[in-house]
Amino acid sequence: MRSSDVVVIGGGVIGCSVAYHLAKKGFTVAIVEREDIASGTSGACDKAVLLQSKNPGLHLKLALESIKLFPDLQKEFDINIQYKNNGGMIVVQTPQQWEVMREFVLRQKNTGLEVELLDREKALERQPAFSKDIAGSTCCPMDGEVNPIYLTLAFKRAAEKHGARIFLHTEVKGIKVENGEVHSVITSEGEIKTQFVVNACGVYAPHIGRMVGVDIPIIPRKGQIIVTEPVPPLIHGDVNCARYITAKFRPDLLGNSEDARLGVGLSLGQTENGNLLIGGTREFAGYDRRTTHRALRAILKHAASLVPALKDISIIRSFAGLRPYTPDGLPILGEVEGVKGFVIAAGHEGDGIALSPITGKIISEIIAGNLPSVDIDISKLSLERFKGLDTNGFRQIHNCYGFAV
Amino acid sequence: MKDEYICRCEEVTRQEIEEAIADGATTISGIKRRTRAGMGLCQGRTCRRLITQMLSKVKDAAEITPPTSRPPVRAIKIGEILEGEDD
Repeated sequence: MRSSDVVVIGGGVIGCSVAYHLAKKGFTVAIVEREDIASGTSGACDKAVLLQSKNPGLHLKLALESIKLFPDLQKEFDINIQYKNNGGMIVVQTPQQWEVMREFVLRQKNTGLEVELLDREKALERQPAFSKDIAGSTCCPMDGEVNPIYLTLAFKRAAEKHGARIFLHTEVKGIKVENGEVHSVITSEGEIKTQFVVNACGVYAPHIGRMVGVDIPIIPRKGQIIVTEPVPPLIHGDVNCARYITAKFRPDLLGNSEDARLGVGLSLGQTENGNLLIGGTREFAGYDRRTTHRALRAILKHAASLVPALKDISIIRSFAGLRPYTPDGLPILGEVEGVKGFVIAAGHEGDGIALSPITGKIISEIIAGNLPSVDIDISKLSLERFKGLDTNGFRQIHNCYGFAV
Repeated sequence: MKDEYICRCEEVTRQEIEEAIADGATTISGIKRRTRAGMGLCQGRTCRRLITQMLSKVKDAAEITPPTSRPPVRAIKIGEILEGEDD
């Protein structure tokens, strides 16, 4: 039988980051991935590394620690992850939004984020493509960008360099637990004896949890994104709109229009190749990864109202990704009570790319038994915070009736 | 012929695709993620077939699934899509 100190299940950005950080510490690590590296959520998202979209408090603190790690990672990687620190803006359309954002920005400043509100004129100076009808925007020089697919592949390759083994197209069939401790992982390619299992399966984490009798409240939240033809530089840094922030944290405030039901909010950016990525939606549609004409039209209409020049640009592709949503919008990190060696690193919703460096670091410290190197209360991210939650009820009210196999 | 372009839109060579296959890609999407082949203006209309041929050397051709088809069918201006909207 094969053996490994740690088996990481899931070859997305979180699993690959965890594997890299552990392998670097000298652990023997195996990544087991059902399909391919970045074939799920990590390969179906935009490129923003946003601090501004994080809730002030623990969430923003995690992101602030995470973003610090990108420059050093780039130095270590063989692959150019296209990390840039070009800042980000949240465009504000109405006076009501201005009030909401003013309060949000104030709370973010208190958590240590460099962010300010710009009036219309200043916002247009920084981002001339904005419509003249906007009320203003925020501006955060700390926001960044990265190529999410290359980031995932770079973590994977760096993990391999430190000795990690990657099992692609290999499915986990079961996890053996003996005397309350993880013993081995049974895969379609044989059994791997191990002391630690890291469940980094994102929206599929509940399926792996069920193998050891652990109920994990993660459900998919679909985000649809549109890709344009490459165009000369038009958008600088990351652009979101105040409705995007509202759709993320307070969907109840959006009302009951079709846009509200789809959770339409602008996320816009331009890749190194010149393609624009236009998003997006936040929909509870179970495990359905299809794009819909209704949502694509709604996204484009909203985007063109904020950036009129988009009307003359052609789209070439659309895609959708499933973001792993938790009841409080925070990821689930740490060892599970009652199953020694079973560690969860999942539930980052749309923040997985931005939070992948810090997540890998934290999980590697938990497994190594090291003291945490960051001043963050990890216990607040444990699965146990959801004790007493009606998990099935949570799934049902969000249009998600079962696990995807 | 290592430097022959397989994906003309994104200028991806035969060698780059061979490297992606060596890296573990066994699907057209896997090659796309590693090399950008098929991400360009034509969305893989030509290179998809060439890449399928290359993959069939390491994998049973019957098991090579085509990548997911997504709208639009061809490049279309955003203004044209939005024509007829109320505002």
